[in-house]
Amino acid sequence: MPFRLGWRGFRGAIDVLFLAPLTLYILGLTLWPVLSTMALSFQDRRSGSFPTLANYQAVVEHFEFWDALYNTLFISVVGLSLELCLGLVMALCLSVPFRGRGVARALMLIPLGVPTIVSAANMRYIFGTVGYLNETLHQLGLLEIPIDWTSGGARTLMAVVAADLWKVTPLVMLILLAGLESIPGELYEAAVTDGAGAWQRFRYVTLPLLKPAITAALIIRGIDAFRIFALPLTLVGRSTPVLSTYTYFEYVDYQNPYTSAASATILLVMILATTIAYLQIAGTEEVIS
Amino acid sequence: MRPLTYLAMSAMAAFLLIPVYLMVKISISVPGEVFTQHPTLLIHDVTLDHWRQIVTGGMLWPPLKKSLTVATATALLALALSAPAAYVIARMPRGWKYTTLLILFFTRMFPEVGIALPMAIRFIEWGLFDTNLGLTLAHLVRTLPITAWILVGSFEAIPREIEEAAGVDGAGHGRTLLRVILPLALPGLTVAALFAWLLSWEEFTFAVYLSLASRTLPLQVYYYVYQGNWFLTATYTTIITIPVLILTYALQRYLKAGTLAGAIK
Repeated sequence: MPFRLGWRGFRGAIDVLFLAPLTLYILGLTLWPVLSTMALSFQDRRSGSFPTLANYQAVVEHFEFWDALYNTLFISVVGLSLELCLGLVMALCLSVPFRGRGVARALMLIPLGVPTIVSAANMRYIFGTVGYLNETLHQLGLLEIPIDWTSGGARTLMAVVAADLWKVTPLVMLILLAGLESIPGELYEAAVTDGAGAWQRFRYVTLPLLKPAITAALIIRGIDAFRIFALPLTLVGRSTPVLSTYTYFEYVDYQNPYTSAASATILLVMILATTIAYLQIAGTEEVIS
Repeated sequence: MRPLTYLAMSAMAAFLLIPVYLMVKISISVPGEVFTQHPTLLIHDVTLDHWRQIVTGGMLWPPLKKSLTVATATALLALALSAPAAYVIARMPRGWKYTTLLILFFTRMFPEVGIALPMAIRFIEWGLFDTNLGLTLAHLVRTLPITAWILVGSFEAIPREIEEAAGVDGAGHGRTLLRVILPLALPGLTVAALFAWLLSWEEFTFAVYLSLASRTLPLQVYYYVYQGNWFLTATYTTIITIPVLILTYALQRYLKAGTLAGAIK
C-alpha cells in the first residue's frame, strides 16, 4: 500500500514535469508576445507614456487601414461563402461511388500539398498582365487589351478570392466529406420510404446532420481568412492590403511597431469576437470532435 | 446525373491541376514561350537552364540548408516538448482534456503578425534575429498545438490496461513509458514529426519577420517574385513543393478534421 501511494505521488510530480515544457512554451512564446503586442499598441511612440490611444487614432485616420479592413471582410465573406458552396458540391459528388472516384479524391489533395507561398506565386502566372487568364480570354475573343488583375480594385479582390479558393476548398471539402460519411445510410432509406425526393432528402436529412461539419469548416476557415497574409502579400502586395499585410507594412515599411501593434490588436479582437460569437450560437462540442 | 458529375469533376480537375502544371512548365520553358503577348499552354521547347542556374549557381544550397535545418530542428523539438505533455493530457479526465484541447485550439486564433512583431523586436536584442535557432523557436509556436493535438489522439488509443499490466509485472514508471508506451506510440510520433516538419518547411510569416540575410526557401520565392523572375520563382517553388506533395499523400489517411484544424494553411 505505501508503495502504491508513493507511486501515485511520484506520478503527480511526473505529470507536472511532463506538462511544464509545453505550458511554459505557450505562455512564453505565444501568450507573452500577444500580450506585449497589446501593451505596445497602447504605448506612445515618442514619449513612451502608457496607456494612450494615439496609435489607434493614427491607424483609424489612415485610409489604407480602412482599405485593409474592407478587403479583409470582403475576402472572408465572399471567400468563405464560395468555399463552402463549392466544397459542399465537391463533397456531395465524391460521396457517391462512381468510376474514377479514387483518382478524383487524389486530385483533390493536390492543393493541400502545395504551400501557400507557392500557390500565390503560381497565381501570378495566371493573373499577371501577360498571364494565362488574359490569354484565355483573348483566345475566346472576350478581351482586346490585356488587364493587370493584380493592380487593385474589385478584380484584384476577386483574384485573391480565386487564389485562396484554389488552396483551401479541398480542405473544406474533406471536412464536409467526413461529415457526410458519418450520416447513417438508413436515414436516407427511411426518407425514401416516406416518399422524400432528392431535394427533401438533402434539405431535411443531409443539411441538419452536416451542421457540425459545417461549423467546424466555418470556424477553421474563418480564422484563417481573417489572418490571410502570405497569399495577398505575394500575389498583390501593396496594391490591395488586408489587415495582416497592413500590420506588416506598418512595421517593415514605415518602421512603426506601435501602429503595427495597434492594427494587430484590432485583428485579434475581430477574430476572437467573431469566433466566440459563433461558438456561442453553434456550440463548442462540434468543433473538437 | 452521371454525365453531369463527370463534367463537374473534369472541370474541377482542370482547375486544380492547371496552376501546378504551369509552375512545372514555366520552370522548364524558354523565356520567349512565356513572356510574350500570347503565352502558350503546351510545352514546345524544353530547357533546363533555370534548373541549372539554381542548382549549379550556388543559389540553392544556402536557403535549402536553412530550410532543412530549421524544419528538422522544429520537428525534433516539437516532439520533445509536446509528447510528454500530450501523454499526460491523454490520461486526464474527460472534462480537463477537453478544456486543454480547447486552449490549444484557441492559440490558433492569434494572428501570426501579432506574435511575430514583438518576437522580431526582442530577437534583435537577444541576437536571435536572422538565426536558425530564432526561426526554429518561432516555428514551434505554430507547430506545438498541432503536434500536441495529434499526439493526444495517439496516446489515447493506447489502452490504459497495458500500462497497468506493465506496472503489475514490476516495471517502474520510467521503464513502462520507455519500453511499453513509447514503442506503441511510435507511429503517432512519426506522423506528428512529419506534420511539424511540413509546417516549418513551408512557413512564411515568421520567416519574413525574423530573417534578413539568410533566407529560407519560401523567402527565396518571395524575393524572386518581387524581382519579377518567373523562371527562377517557378523552379524554387517546384523544389519546395515536391516534398510537401509526397508527404501530403503519405499522410493523407491522417488528415482527419481534427488534425486539419490548423495543420494545413
